[in-house]
Amino acid sequence: MNRLLLSIGVFAVIFIAAPLVIVVPMSFSNARSLQFPPPGYWLGYYQAYFTDMRWLRPTWNSIIIASGTTVLTMTLVVPATFALVRHRFAGKSFADLMLLMPLAVPHIVMAVGYYSFLGKLGIVQTHLGVIVAHTCLTVPIAFLVLSANLKGFDRTLERAAISLGASPWRTFIHITLPILKPGLIVSALFTFVQSFDETVVAIFISGRDAATLPRKMFDSIRQEADPVIAVVSTLLFLLVLAGIVAPPLWKALRTRMKAPALSSGDFQS
Amino acid sequence: MTSYLQLTGISKTYGTFAALSKVDLAVDKGEFITFLGPSGSGKTTTLMIIAGFEKASTGDVLIDGGSITAMAPHERNIGIVFQNYGLFPHKRAIENVYFPLQMRGAARAEGLRKAAAMLDLVGLKDLGSRYPKELSGGQQQRVALARALVFEPSLLLLDEPLGALDKNLREQMQIEIKRIQRALGVTTVFVTHDQSEAMSMSDRIVVFDKGRIEQAATPLDIYHRPQTKFVAGFVGESNLIEAVVTDAGSRLATSPALGEIEYAPSETAAPGKPVMLMIRPEHIRLSRRPIEGRRNAAMKIETIVNYGDNALVIGNSSGVPMRVRVLGADVVILKEGDDCHISWMPDAVFPITA
Ligand SMILES: Nc1ncnc2c1ncn2[C@@H]1O[C@H](COP(=O)(O)OP(=O)(O)OP(=O)(O)O)[C@@H](O)[C@H]1O
Ligand SMILES: [Mg+2]
Repeated sequence: MNRLLLSIGVFAVIFIAAPLVIVVPMSFSNARSLQFPPPGYWLGYYQAYFTDMRWLRPTWNSIIIASGTTVLTMTLVVPATFALVRHRFAGKSFADLMLLMPLAVPHIVMAVGYYSFLGKLGIVQTHLGVIVAHTCLTVPIAFLVLSANLKGFDRTLERAAISLGASPWRTFIHITLPILKPGLIVSALFTFVQSFDETVVAIFISGRDAATLPRKMFDSIRQEADPVIAVVSTLLFLLVLAGIVAPPLWKALRTRMKAPALSSGDFQS
Repeated sequence: MTSYLQLTGISKTYGTFAALSKVDLAVDKGEFITFLGPSGSGKTTTLMIIAGFEKASTGDVLIDGGSITAMAPHERNIGIVFQNYGLFPHKRAIENVYFPLQMRGAARAEGLRKAAAMLDLVGLKDLGSRYPKELSGGQQQRVALARALVFEPSLLLLDEPLGALDKNLREQMQIEIKRIQRALGVTTVFVTHDQSEAMSMSDRIVVFDKGRIEQAATPLDIYHRPQTKFVAGFVGESNLIEAVVTDAGSRLATSPALGEIEYAPSETAAPGKPVMLMIRPEHIRLSRRPIEGRRNAAMKIETIVNYGDNALVIGNSSGVPMRVRVLGADVVILKEGDDCHISWMPDAVFPITA
């Protein structure tokens, strides 16, 4: 029984890791098209990626769109989460449901919908159009992450702050926000990555001018199987990895740097 | 002289439920007042109305003669210690204590110095740089106390601050809180449902039941001269005997079960008035034979609850359940089922007319 579970586990890991094992070496390949195992190694395709406007432009588009989506999503989700978690009002469960709806609708269906809807608004194939569409997709996850954080927030802390002389606004700035910061960062990070990574909607509505990186990769693999795709994949993987590893690493470093500097003596005298 | 803190006609209703009805209370400057009462009796609600976190449905709260009812909670200058302390997890102990000074625009260096002095006063001189999660329950409690006191509040409110501590620490903190409160002379309202805590710490105890104040008096008065049947039953152990006053002059009341009983001097007992005669278990003596010069009654022992240094003997006297406190040495010779006598002095019988 244990053996069986172990082998299932090992298979699962191999299965998950396999794409990485293939893609990363391919990015250093000197073959003319995607080929595994690579016949030889060089850095030429990295150079190609960083100099070719056909790749840099979609990269830039993706950065703009993911950033815009993150800003818009957080602007909508933060107040919405506070309202939905902390207040009771008519139509609350309906609002809850509508916020989470995009999770239940297949992306391809959403994509078709956006294509015609954004067309009517005249923003299809623009950055703004993709940002709006992506925001609809990212809102549910951001909301789920943030509301879990907010539900766990002890409201006594706010009462304590107010009793100590902080106005509601200063309580929010000095107490609520800093304590929710990790949750806000995680939810913003998820949003950014989700938008950066999104392909289906991007293929439908990003067009040529606003083409995102995943869309460009999709086009490229269909037309020429350019090994730069492997480079982009590797870079994307590193980016996401950094996003996951950086926060805990940063925290660990910070506490290590700060701890000895602030001994009790600093506050006396 | 007018009182420092005054509650006048405070009521609070939730829908049709009256959480507080017509609460009147006057507290003197520097007094240590304890709210005592069963769960749901309105202690926290009263405290939150004073603090401004709840709005009273009717009535007024005054400090130093001025109404604070219209003031926002953050303008009231009232220090609160919450049951779970409410320390800010992202701030060090010293920064927690500095926070109220920061909100009042204190210069950082001066504020931190004051905060450190306050931590010193609560006995945490060297722990200022710790985060709350790095402190024990008792230490967190002290930080919370320091934080609620550092800005020289006009009032200190504590809502069951010792509820989460174990017995030893609890007793230690009771003494600590009393010491600090005396040192600073701050007017204090303390909430608990632990009677011995209320007895040992308070200048006055306010007993709550069902949203009403049953009695507000010194611990000794609450214990020995309860004004209502509820107070007599809630505070300490007591025997309550139903009777009717027959002769107010010679202070006699008649109980249907136990006959004529003489009671201690009382201003409110009038002939024909139904009363509850209260006798504390420690004021009753248990003996094999009747004792001369005391009011005697026969009792059959039903249960003996042993506490080590003393025991509670529960028995039945002509159909009236009676509790008698017996010191350790006497317990050995008693058996459940024994017939014996109980006796008391007239002064031990306190008539309750309300
Ligand atoms: N928001 C509310 N809505 C309805 N009823 C409430 C609300 N807040 C408190 N109550 C009720 O008011 C009554 C008094 O509550 P309160 O918290 O003051 O009791 P308490 O004396 O502090 O009890 P405890 O010793 O358990 O803390 C309770 O019956 C409670 O159920
Ligand atoms: Mg309470």
